[in-house]
Amino acid sequence: MDAKVMLVDDEEMIRESVKVFFQSEGVGILTAASGDECLDHLEDGFRGVILMDVMMPDMDGWDTIRKIVENDLYEGNIIVMLTALGTPDNNMEGLQEYVTDYLTKPFNPDALMEILQYYFNLLGALEPVDGK
Amino acid sequence: MVNNNIVMIGVSTGGPIALKRLFAEIPPLNAVLVIVLHIPPGMDYKIARSLAAVASMPVALAADGEYLRSGHIYLAPGGFHLKLEGNSRIILEEGARVNFVQPSIDVAMKSLHKPLKKRRIIGVIMTGMGKDGAEGIRHVKALGGVTIAQDAVTSAIYGMPKAAVETGAVDFVFPLMKIGKKLFELLN
Repeated sequence: MDAKVMLVDDEEMIRESVKVFFQSEGVGILTAASGDECLDHLEDGFRGVILMDVMMPDMDGWDTIRKIVENDLYEGNIIVMLTALGTPDNNMEGLQEYVTDYLTKPFNPDALMEILQYYFNLLGALEPVDGK
Repeated sequence: MVNNNIVMIGVSTGGPIALKRLFAEIPPLNAVLVIVLHIPPGMDYKIARSLAAVASMPVALAADGEYLRSGHIYLAPGGFHLKLEGNSRIILEEGARVNFVQPSIDVAMKSLHKPLKKRRIIGVIMTGMGKDGAEGIRHVKALGGVTIAQDAVTSAIYGMPKAAVETGAVDFVFPLMKIGKKLFELLN
Protein backbone atom coordinates (compact mmCIF):
# COMPACT_ATOMS: atom_id res chain seq x y z
CA MET A 1 0.00 0.00 0.00
CA ASP A 2 1.14 3.58 -0.58
CA ALA A 3 2.76 5.07 2.49
CA LYS A 4 0.72 7.90 4.03
CA VAL A 5 2.85 8.24 7.16
CA MET A 6 6.60 8.59 7.65
CA LEU A 7 8.04 7.99 11.11
CA VAL A 8 11.41 9.63 11.69
CA ASP A 9 13.02 8.29 14.86
CA ASP A 10 16.55 7.14 15.64
CA GLU A 11 15.34 4.40 18.02
CA GLU A 12 14.82 1.11 16.20
CA MET A 13 12.43 -0.28 18.80
CA ILE A 14 10.13 2.68 18.35
CA ARG A 15 10.28 2.46 14.56
CA GLU A 16 9.43 -1.24 14.64
CA SER A 17 6.56 -1.02 17.15
CA VAL A 18 4.95 1.96 15.42
CA LYS A 19 5.33 0.23 12.05
CA VAL A 20 3.53 -2.86 13.35
CA PHE A 21 0.73 -0.68 14.75
CA PHE A 22 0.12 1.21 11.51
CA GLN A 23 0.29 -1.93 9.41
CA SER A 24 -2.38 -3.50 11.65
CA GLU A 25 -4.53 -0.41 11.01
CA GLY A 26 -4.04 -0.75 7.27
CA VAL A 27 -2.11 2.51 7.01
CA GLY A 28 0.97 2.54 4.80
CA ILE A 29 4.07 3.66 6.69
CA LEU A 30 7.69 4.41 5.85
CA THR A 31 10.36 4.74 8.52
CA ALA A 32 13.52 6.80 8.65
CA ALA A 33 16.26 6.50 11.26
CA SER A 34 17.57 10.03 10.75
CA GLY A 35 16.84 13.43 9.29
CA ASP A 36 18.92 12.55 6.23
CA GLU A 37 16.84 9.42 5.57
CA CYS A 38 13.70 11.52 5.93
CA LEU A 39 14.98 13.92 3.28
CA ASP A 40 15.82 10.97 1.01
CA HIS A 41 12.24 9.67 1.27
CA LEU A 42 10.89 13.14 0.48
CA GLU A 43 13.16 13.46 -2.54
CA ASP A 44 11.90 10.04 -3.65
CA GLY A 45 8.39 11.46 -3.62
CA PHE A 46 6.86 10.72 -0.19
CA ARG A 47 4.07 13.13 0.68
CA GLY A 48 1.90 12.64 3.74
CA VAL A 49 2.07 12.98 7.51
CA ILE A 50 5.59 13.05 8.95
CA LEU A 51 5.91 11.98 12.59
CA MET A 52 9.22 13.61 13.54
CA ASP A 53 11.18 12.78 16.67
CA VAL A 54 12.76 15.89 18.16
CA MET A 55 15.83 14.38 19.79
CA MET A 56 18.03 12.69 17.22
CA PRO A 57 21.84 12.62 17.02
CA ASP A 58 23.63 14.59 14.27
CA MET A 59 20.55 16.49 13.05
CA ASP A 60 17.61 17.00 15.42
CA GLY A 61 13.96 17.20 14.37
CA TRP A 62 14.00 21.00 14.17
CA ASP A 63 17.03 21.15 11.88
CA THR A 64 15.50 18.41 9.74
CA ILE A 65 12.42 20.56 9.25
CA ARG A 66 14.66 23.50 8.32
CA LYS A 67 16.27 21.36 5.63
CA ILE A 68 12.85 20.20 4.42
CA VAL A 69 11.70 23.81 4.02
CA GLU A 70 15.00 25.02 2.50
CA ASN A 71 14.86 22.24 -0.09
CA ASP A 72 11.23 23.03 -1.04
CA LEU A 73 10.11 19.61 0.18
CA TYR A 74 7.47 20.80 2.69
CA GLU A 75 4.47 21.26 0.40
CA GLY A 76 2.04 18.35 0.48
CA ASN A 77 3.15 17.24 3.95
CA ILE A 78 1.99 17.76 7.49
CA ILE A 79 4.59 17.54 10.27
CA VAL A 80 3.81 16.28 13.78
CA MET A 81 6.60 16.47 16.36
CA LEU A 82 7.10 13.55 18.75
CA THR A 83 8.78 14.36 22.01
CA ALA A 84 9.49 12.78 25.35
CA LEU A 85 8.38 14.83 28.34
CA GLY A 86 10.94 17.46 29.12
CA THR A 87 12.40 17.55 25.62
CA PRO A 88 13.75 21.04 25.07
CA ASP A 89 12.10 23.03 22.31
CA ASN A 90 14.68 25.77 22.14
CA ASN A 91 15.67 25.22 18.53
CA MET A 92 12.22 25.80 17.07
CA GLU A 93 12.31 29.50 16.18
CA GLY A 94 10.83 30.21 12.78
CA LEU A 95 9.35 26.74 12.41
CA GLN A 96 6.00 27.33 14.07
CA GLU A 97 4.03 27.50 10.82
CA TYR A 98 5.50 24.19 9.62
CA VAL A 99 4.75 22.13 12.76
CA THR A 100 1.06 21.28 12.76
CA ASP A 101 0.96 19.22 15.94
CA TYR A 102 3.07 18.09 18.88
CA LEU A 103 2.64 14.75 20.65
CA THR A 104 4.32 13.51 23.81
CA LYS A 105 5.69 9.98 23.82
CA PRO A 106 4.40 7.43 24.65
CA PHE A 107 1.33 8.42 22.65
CA ASN A 108 -2.12 6.88 22.75
CA PRO A 109 -2.48 4.89 19.50
CA ASP A 110 -6.26 5.46 19.17
CA ALA A 111 -5.87 9.19 19.78
CA LEU A 112 -3.09 9.27 17.20
CA MET A 113 -5.28 7.53 14.59
CA GLU A 114 -8.08 10.07 15.14
CA ILE A 115 -5.65 12.93 14.66
CA LEU A 116 -4.08 11.30 11.61
CA GLN A 117 -7.47 10.76 9.98
CA TYR A 118 -8.05 14.52 10.25
CA TYR A 119 -4.64 15.29 8.75
CA PHE A 120 -5.14 12.84 5.89
CA ASN A 121 -8.40 14.65 5.11
CA LEU A 122 -6.61 18.02 5.24
CA LEU A 123 -4.03 16.78 2.78
CA GLY A 124 -6.75 15.35 0.57
CA ALA A 125 -4.94 12.04 0.69
CA LEU A 126 -8.12 10.15 1.51
CA GLU A 127 -11.83 10.69 0.99
CA PRO A 128 -13.30 12.83 3.80
CA VAL A 129 -15.04 10.86 6.54
CA ASP A 130 -18.57 12.26 7.20
CA GLY A 131 -17.54 15.63 5.86
CA LYS A 132 -15.27 16.49 8.76
CA MET B 1 -15.38 52.42 13.13
CA VAL B 2 -18.04 49.75 12.76
CA ASN B 3 -19.70 48.73 15.99
CA ASN B 4 -18.89 45.01 16.31
CA ASN B 5 -17.70 42.81 19.12
CA ILE B 6 -14.33 41.36 18.13
CA VAL B 7 -12.75 38.07 19.09
CA MET B 8 -9.13 37.63 18.02
CA ILE B 9 -7.67 34.15 18.47
CA GLY B 10 -3.93 33.53 18.23
CA VAL B 11 -2.93 29.89 17.79
CA SER B 12 -0.09 27.79 16.41
CA THR B 13 1.12 24.19 16.74
CA GLY B 14 -1.85 22.02 17.64
CA GLY B 15 -4.14 24.72 16.31
CA PRO B 16 -5.92 23.07 13.38
CA ILE B 17 -7.34 20.25 15.50
CA ALA B 18 -8.04 22.54 18.48
CA LEU B 19 -9.92 25.04 16.28
CA LYS B 20 -11.93 22.22 14.71
CA ARG B 21 -12.94 20.92 18.13
CA LEU B 22 -13.73 24.41 19.42
CA PHE B 23 -15.85 25.57 16.50
CA ALA B 24 -17.69 22.28 16.09
CA GLU B 25 -19.28 22.96 19.47
CA ILE B 26 -20.12 26.64 19.61
CA PRO B 27 -23.22 28.25 18.10
CA PRO B 28 -23.04 31.44 16.00
CA LEU B 29 -21.52 34.26 18.05
CA ASN B 30 -22.44 37.92 18.13
CA ALA B 31 -18.95 39.03 17.06
CA VAL B 32 -16.46 39.06 14.25
CA LEU B 33 -13.90 36.32 14.80
CA VAL B 34 -10.37 36.70 13.49
CA ILE B 35 -8.06 33.72 13.75
CA VAL B 36 -4.31 34.21 13.43
CA LEU B 37 -2.81 30.74 12.98
CA HIS B 38 0.89 30.28 12.21
CA ILE B 39 0.55 28.70 8.80
CA PRO B 40 2.31 28.73 5.45
CA PRO B 41 0.56 29.66 2.20
CA GLY B 42 -0.79 26.52 0.60
CA MET B 43 -2.07 25.13 3.88
CA ASP B 44 -4.23 28.13 4.82
CA TYR B 45 -7.16 27.50 2.48
CA LYS B 46 -7.21 23.82 3.49
CA ILE B 47 -7.57 24.78 7.15
CA ALA B 48 -10.28 27.31 6.26
CA ARG B 49 -12.15 24.69 4.26
CA SER B 50 -11.90 22.12 7.04
CA LEU B 51 -13.13 24.61 9.65
CA ALA B 52 -15.98 25.66 7.39
CA ALA B 53 -17.14 22.04 7.30
CA VAL B 54 -17.74 21.97 11.07
CA ALA B 55 -18.34 25.57 12.20
CA SER B 56 -21.79 27.08 12.68
CA MET B 57 -20.51 30.38 11.23
CA PRO B 58 -19.13 31.07 7.73
CA VAL B 59 -15.35 30.71 7.52
CA ALA B 60 -13.10 32.28 4.90
CA LEU B 61 -9.54 33.41 4.41
CA ALA B 62 -9.26 37.10 5.29
CA ALA B 63 -8.98 39.24 2.16
CA ASP B 64 -7.12 42.54 1.95
CA GLY B 65 -9.48 45.50 2.19
CA GLU B 66 -12.44 43.41 3.30
CA TYR B 67 -14.81 44.78 5.94
CA LEU B 68 -15.52 42.37 8.77
CA ARG B 69 -19.06 41.10 9.30
CA SER B 70 -20.46 39.95 12.60
CA GLY B 71 -21.07 36.22 12.89
CA HIS B 72 -18.25 35.42 10.48
CA ILE B 73 -14.88 33.77 11.05
CA TYR B 74 -11.83 35.12 9.20
CA LEU B 75 -8.57 33.15 8.99
CA ALA B 76 -5.39 35.16 8.39
CA PRO B 77 -3.72 33.83 5.23
CA GLY B 78 -0.15 32.55 5.25
CA GLY B 79 2.61 34.80 3.95
CA PHE B 80 1.22 38.10 5.30
CA HIS B 81 0.76 39.96 8.55
CA LEU B 82 -2.86 40.82 9.26
CA LYS B 83 -3.93 44.12 10.79
CA LEU B 84 -7.33 45.64 11.37
CA GLU B 85 -7.99 49.23 10.35
CA GLY B 86 -10.55 50.94 12.57
CA ASN B 87 -11.31 47.55 14.18
CA SER B 88 -13.30 46.80 11.06
CA ARG B 89 -11.26 46.41 7.89
CA ILE B 90 -8.62 43.83 7.05
CA ILE B 91 -5.22 45.01 5.93
CA LEU B 92 -2.73 42.37 4.79
CA GLU B 93 0.91 43.41 4.78
CA GLU B 94 4.04 41.74 3.52
CA GLY B 95 7.21 42.37 5.49
CA ALA B 96 9.70 40.93 7.91
CA ARG B 97 8.72 38.18 10.30
CA VAL B 98 7.85 39.25 13.82
CA ASN B 99 8.74 36.87 16.65
CA PHE B 100 10.16 34.70 13.82
CA VAL B 101 6.63 34.16 12.45
CA GLN B 102 4.26 35.39 9.80
CA PRO B 103 1.34 36.01 10.30
CA SER B 104 2.18 37.32 13.76
CA ILE B 105 -0.44 37.34 16.50
CA ASP B 106 1.26 40.30 18.18
CA VAL B 107 1.02 42.34 14.97
CA ALA B 108 -2.68 41.54 14.61
CA MET B 109 -3.66 42.15 18.23
CA LYS B 110 -1.61 45.34 18.50
CA SER B 111 -3.55 46.77 15.54
CA LEU B 112 -6.75 46.75 17.62
CA HIS B 113 -8.16 50.02 18.95
CA LYS B 114 -10.28 50.70 22.00
CA PRO B 115 -13.78 49.50 21.12
CA LEU B 116 -16.83 51.70 21.01
CA LYS B 117 -18.92 51.78 24.16
CA LYS B 118 -20.61 48.52 25.15
CA ARG B 119 -18.64 46.54 22.58
CA ARG B 120 -16.22 43.85 23.61
CA ILE B 121 -12.78 42.93 22.43
CA ILE B 122 -11.70 39.45 23.45
CA GLY B 123 -8.18 38.15 22.94
CA VAL B 124 -7.54 34.41 23.10
CA ILE B 125 -4.18 32.62 23.02
CA MET B 126 -4.35 28.92 22.30
CA THR B 127 -1.81 26.13 21.91
CA GLY B 128 1.53 26.88 20.31
CA MET B 129 5.31 27.16 20.62
CA GLY B 130 7.20 30.37 21.27
CA LYS B 131 5.85 33.63 22.64
CA ASP B 132 3.98 35.28 19.81
CA GLY B 133 0.78 36.78 21.16
CA ALA B 134 2.05 37.66 24.65
CA GLU B 135 2.48 41.36 23.84
CA GLY B 136 -0.75 41.24 21.88
CA ILE B 137 -2.63 39.99 24.93
CA ARG B 138 -1.07 42.76 27.01
CA HIS B 139 -2.40 45.27 24.46
CA VAL B 140 -5.91 43.77 24.46
CA LYS B 141 -6.01 44.00 28.25
CA ALA B 142 -4.82 47.61 28.14
CA LEU B 143 -7.74 48.40 25.80
CA GLY B 144 -10.13 47.08 28.44
CA GLY B 145 -10.68 43.79 26.66
CA VAL B 146 -11.15 40.31 28.09
CA THR B 147 -8.24 37.90 27.74
CA ILE B 148 -8.22 34.12 27.75
CA ALA B 149 -5.42 31.55 27.51
CA GLN B 150 -5.81 27.83 26.83
CA ASP B 151 -4.62 25.67 29.71
CA ALA B 152 -1.62 23.32 29.78
CA VAL B 153 -3.73 20.16 29.97
CA THR B 154 -5.60 20.68 26.71
CA SER B 155 -2.85 22.54 24.79
CA ALA B 156 -0.78 20.39 22.43
CA ILE B 157 2.04 22.65 23.56
CA TYR B 158 1.67 25.25 26.29
CA GLY B 159 4.41 27.66 25.12
CA MET B 160 2.34 30.56 23.76
CA PRO B 161 -0.41 30.41 26.41
CA LYS B 162 2.27 30.29 29.11
CA ALA B 163 4.04 33.34 27.69
CA ALA B 164 0.71 35.17 27.63
CA VAL B 165 -0.09 34.18 31.23
CA GLU B 166 3.35 35.35 32.35
CA THR B 167 2.51 38.91 31.24
CA GLY B 168 -0.02 39.04 34.07
CA ALA B 169 -2.61 40.26 31.55
CA VAL B 170 -4.65 37.07 31.17
CA ASP B 171 -8.06 37.05 32.84
CA PHE B 172 -8.94 33.36 32.38
CA VAL B 173 -6.96 30.16 31.80
CA PHE B 174 -9.36 27.55 30.50
CA PRO B 175 -9.44 24.10 28.97
CA LEU B 176 -10.37 24.17 25.29
CA MET B 177 -14.10 23.55 25.53
CA LYS B 178 -14.57 26.06 28.34
CA ILE B 179 -13.14 28.74 26.05
CA GLY B 180 -16.12 28.25 23.77
CA LYS B 181 -18.58 28.44 26.64
CA LYS B 182 -16.98 31.65 27.91
CA LEU B 183 -17.10 33.27 24.49
CA PHE B 184 -20.80 32.50 24.26
CA GLU B 185 -21.41 33.84 27.77
CA LEU B 186 -19.55 37.07 27.04
CA LEU B 187 -21.07 37.73 23.63
CA ASN B 188 -24.55 36.30 23.45
